[in-house]
Amino acid sequence: MNRRPGFPCGQSRREFVWQMGAGFAGVALSAMLEQSGFQLPSARATEVSAINPLAAKPPQLKTQIRSCIFLMMNGAPSQVDTFDYKPELQKHAGKQLPADKKYINSGGRKVGYLTPAWRPFRPGGQSGLLISDYFPKVREHADKLCVLKSCHTDSHAHGSALVAMNTGKTLIGRPSLGSWAVYGLGTENEDLPGYVVILDKRGGPISGQPNWSAGFMPATYGGTLFRPVGDPILDLKGPPHVNQAVQREQLDLLARLNEQHLEQRPGGQDLAARINSYELAYRMQSATPEAVDLSGESQSTLDSYGVGVHPTDEYGRNCLIARRLVERGVRFIQLYSGGGHLEETWDAHESIEKNHGQHAGEVDQPIAALLNDLQQRGLLDQTLVIWGGEFGRMPFSEGPSAPGRNHNPYGFSMWLAGGGVRGGTSYGETDELGFEAIENKVHLHDLHATILHLMGLDHERLTYFHQGRDESLTDVGGRVIYDVIG
Amino acid sequence: MTATSPRNLSLRRLRCFVVAAWLFVTLTFQLPLACHVVAQEPGSAGSGTVESGSHVTGVDFESQIATFLIKRCVECHQPTNRSGSLDLTSAAGLQAGGESGPVVSHDEPEESYLLRRVIDEEMPPPVQGQPQRLSEQEVNLLRRWITAGAVWPEQRRLSLFEQTTDVRAGLDWWSLQPVVRPSVPQPGNMPKPNHPIDAFVLDRLQSAGVTPAPEASRRVLIRRLYVDLIGLAPSEQEIDAFERDESPNAWPRLVDRLLAMPEYGERWARYWLDLARYADTSGYERDQEKAFAWKYRDWVVQALNDDMPYSQFIVHQLAGDEIEDRNEQSTIATGFLRLGTWNDEPNEPLDYQYDRLEDLVHTTSTAFLGMTVKCARCHTHKFDPIAQDDYYRMASVFWAGPIAPRDRELLGGPSAQELGFENVLGWTDLNASPAALQVLKNGEREHPLHEVIPASLSFVPTLERRYQPPSADERTTNRRLQLAQWIADPKNPLTPRVIVNRIWQHHFGQAIVRTPDNLGYLSDPPTHRELLDWLAAEFLHSGGSIKSLHRLILTSQTWRQSSLHPQGSSQTQQDPGNRLLWRAERRRLDAEALRDSLLVAAGCLDSRMGGESFKATVSPEALEGLSQKSSAWQASPAEQQHRRSLYMFLKRGLLPPMMTAFDLCDATQSVGQRDVTIVPTQALALLNNPLVHEQSQFLAKTICARTDIPEQQIQFAWSAILKRPPSVDEQRMALEHLASQQTHFAQRLGGNADPVVPDDGASNDPATDANEIAHPDDCDAHSLSLASLCHVLMNSNEFAYVD
Repeated sequence: MNRRPGFPCGQSRREFVWQMGAGFAGVALSAMLEQSGFQLPSARATEVSAINPLAAKPPQLKTQIRSCIFLMMNGAPSQVDTFDYKPELQKHAGKQLPADKKYINSGGRKVGYLTPAWRPFRPGGQSGLLISDYFPKVREHADKLCVLKSCHTDSHAHGSALVAMNTGKTLIGRPSLGSWAVYGLGTENEDLPGYVVILDKRGGPISGQPNWSAGFMPATYGGTLFRPVGDPILDLKGPPHVNQAVQREQLDLLARLNEQHLEQRPGGQDLAARINSYELAYRMQSATPEAVDLSGESQSTLDSYGVGVHPTDEYGRNCLIARRLVERGVRFIQLYSGGGHLEETWDAHESIEKNHGQHAGEVDQPIAALLNDLQQRGLLDQTLVIWGGEFGRMPFSEGPSAPGRNHNPYGFSMWLAGGGVRGGTSYGETDELGFEAIENKVHLHDLHATILHLMGLDHERLTYFHQGRDESLTDVGGRVIYDVIG
Repeated sequence: MTATSPRNLSLRRLRCFVVAAWLFVTLTFQLPLACHVVAQEPGSAGSGTVESGSHVTGVDFESQIATFLIKRCVECHQPTNRSGSLDLTSAAGLQAGGESGPVVSHDEPEESYLLRRVIDEEMPPPVQGQPQRLSEQEVNLLRRWITAGAVWPEQRRLSLFEQTTDVRAGLDWWSLQPVVRPSVPQPGNMPKPNHPIDAFVLDRLQSAGVTPAPEASRRVLIRRLYVDLIGLAPSEQEIDAFERDESPNAWPRLVDRLLAMPEYGERWARYWLDLARYADTSGYERDQEKAFAWKYRDWVVQALNDDMPYSQFIVHQLAGDEIEDRNEQSTIATGFLRLGTWNDEPNEPLDYQYDRLEDLVHTTSTAFLGMTVKCARCHTHKFDPIAQDDYYRMASVFWAGPIAPRDRELLGGPSAQELGFENVLGWTDLNASPAALQVLKNGEREHPLHEVIPASLSFVPTLERRYQPPSADERTTNRRLQLAQWIADPKNPLTPRVIVNRIWQHHFGQAIVRTPDNLGYLSDPPTHRELLDWLAAEFLHSGGSIKSLHRLILTSQTWRQSSLHPQGSSQTQQDPGNRLLWRAERRRLDAEALRDSLLVAAGCLDSRMGGESFKATVSPEALEGLSQKSSAWQASPAEQQHRRSLYMFLKRGLLPPMMTAFDLCDATQSVGQRDVTIVPTQALALLNNPLVHEQSQFLAKTICARTDIPEQQIQFAWSAILKRPPSVDEQRMALEHLASQQTHFAQRLGGNADPVVPDDGASNDPATDANEIAHPDDCDAHSLSLASLCHVLMNSNEFAYVD
């Protein structure tokens, strides 16, 4: 085999990796080295590759963003009722969708009539961005939002579309957006997981774990499910009789035994790393409950998020925890609104007003509080906030007596806020009925490319070598939408 | 180094470039087996006729121009893909020019269209926005050639796959060459090693000036061997007996004894199940159970225990329903084709058929051939000599099966009636003459190109043949059988190399080709290519006996080296990746071996073999990730919870957290090598998971029942967990630990009627089996302190690693 140029010492990438003896951490590292077009002297590389794969890495691109919060509206909110104002719907109310507009009738539901927004739209902020009365409090922050009105995706079914929104493909088995982020950037606080997912108490999203999986990457890069009360992560505490003092003694004995074991095995970096992992675990045991412990938050903060009050308590708590996680250097946080199936999620087949009234009521105030709180604390500039579901909903009802709307992957709205985002603007358009994206269309690959770009990662260079192929989140597609970047 | 080499660039850009103009592959006019590639006989073409030109211009067509064109131009300018109507594979093509007219001007060579386009950096075209600019040397080479008359030997036709260049592999790629048994080397300055493996390894070590590690101690060897072959540690008694066994045959006898144990199959089946992307459910929204998947798992265990010849192992899994002596077991083996994820609600069911084909092609070609055939779904493979037609040839083999959308209750497989057996998860064709499968432009259903004629793949030209249609009375196409026979053909160069490499990998931690699922252009170069070929030849010679291969490897001195070396630090400088195999690799127990070892240490392992999978107890928190929450997971009764990890029910929407923490793969794609990570969540799992506490407490109680003398209890704990007596120092530390822990527990138990004080939110948890286990009402302070000691040992590096 030829010596391949471009690697330290004229080695191939693989050789380089393996000669570091570093397994996957080395893979990640050398991938980063290659992508960034620079090479560390090998001594330094050895040092770097020996540490935790989640160690913070410099971004590929200039960015001010350090963390991302993805507010996942599981079940798919309706764009024409929330962020995509369509006055024409009023005019055509009661008519059918024109026959030339083709779509898949997901689930073979009844097809009703064009139905205008169930709540009025009003301008918000200086920008006058139009947002409906489902989100009156978020509307107060209109100047922070960039609404992408022309999103479209590859599936009309929740299971596939959720997986696509999270991993770029409708088929399960690929790393999720958060995995790519921590793979590319590491985390800034190793006492906490780098990628945290908080689910709705009503249940997980359809398809479950593959939505936050690391896919073919090491499991380390997968999302960690975080419970918003008590012990946030699995196996954080042993049985009650093993209290902190007992465990500290255990860990001290363990460390001594392990040190003796290591002394007889000089150069055992793997052994040393495992010894270190126990100290990290010990710290995690206090750091993670502390991260979700809201007792130090002022009453006015709790009130602003709606903690302790129906119906905002749960999501308010989660949003507040997200802010705390951002403060503590967690890289990627995903908060699910809606869990389980149908009306427990944003899947408003029966009634937009009833469903979105409930779900928006749960999240509007918490999201507004989060945006405000991040800004007050000077964190908004370094945080990217994403809001949206796995697809949108149809502009027509499911029948005269069924004022809900069916699934619509052809056009829907998402919004971005925070560092680097051009606030108070919108991008792209759907047609006059809000049925499909027609102008400046944003495929979910484009969305992902833009998110990664904002986080300082180039979606074409952030690759992971897997089975003969440099895989990426956006695969063959994806373009960064520079117009949304301020 | 600032210049971006083509190689680097291509690595970066190696996505499926969807550049329609590039990929417009029209093979329709070709006889399928007069395929795109006709390998040139060495020296048959061209080289003689161009001699004169080369003398004049200093440009040699064969070594310079042919290589240049193949590397830079031919992919898009060949008969099957004439971008701009230009074919640059023959003299006639060059003379004919393209859409824009002649490409070479003999009057004004400098103005030749070909040269202008290159100089203007329009050709080769950018790929995904990345320029593919030629180097100055390349442009000059082209210029000199054209200036000298662009001499092209008359009969010489170029083919993209004819030679390996520095951007892709050709048919001359090493892993595609026939397996020829190399002679065993004689390393200089030393007596010839007894074992051929050692001769190959020492030969390289010696030329590098590196010395092998001494043999590991018997204690280390027996533990390594047990874990390696059966996934379970030996008892202290077994270790002592082996240490005392002075017979010269002690080692081979031990190897044979373990190979004959049924636990051998349980251990090695798991590696194959990773390749078969084994799970017990379909994945996606409903994540339905694939009933009787476990029969396939048991089939693999049995096949390994029986040392089924590898060719049969292949044929049964791909075509167990098509063989002459088909029976229930051979049909169960076709479960291999049923184990992929299955979505009952795909976005577009007609497209989904093609995704299912990709899964089958990918799993088959990865597991058996170590080739990424799936990359050719949309276009010619970017790095290996795999034509797009090859992908569809392999796909056509599965096309006759239950691929198309139909009754969801069948979970994408045949009915029991179609299969011919009840209660079997298997595969068969639905009819013997399915509609033709079409090659799809860019892999897209909407853009069919031409019908593929089912045939073996073209990258082994000597074995390339069209599949025979089935005779009139047959009810399947026999295509899978013919594919399986082609894979299993002793002359297939990939099959033995791939399996031998995989077996080696599981014995050493690293394979000879350290990318075991890919022996193509992007593979890691073999550390010992001749050794690999020698092993492959031996394997073929043994009739494909995997057990013989184990025996061969395990009796080598190379395998029996210590993981420590007296000159470790200097040799690490020289060969940090241990590519020369100068020592053994210390390895962390994998998820299954770790859990099984815990159960063995505590004396809890339930060794019942086979049968339905058990559902592990999972904490209620872990169930929160399911959209259907707790209803979707009912743990099996306690009496099944201590079976070997192999028998754990693997639900794709909820893999057991304890196992994924230790790098269990995600069961969606074929995996030949798991990651090995070291992260704090593993420490949390071993420190706090109820299963581990259950084991440490159970062991403590067992020990307490035997003796109440702390010194003896410590001896027992060390023996059960670390399989050795404690050192004096360890004994002292352990005694101190017991005393101190006992004080803590006595205070808690004595001072409070309710010693179990849950902290914080944990008190809201519903009682579960797991929690009950963790509340040992009947444990006294001493027993708890002993459990604490056992717990520490179960967390130790010594327990988790094999030297």
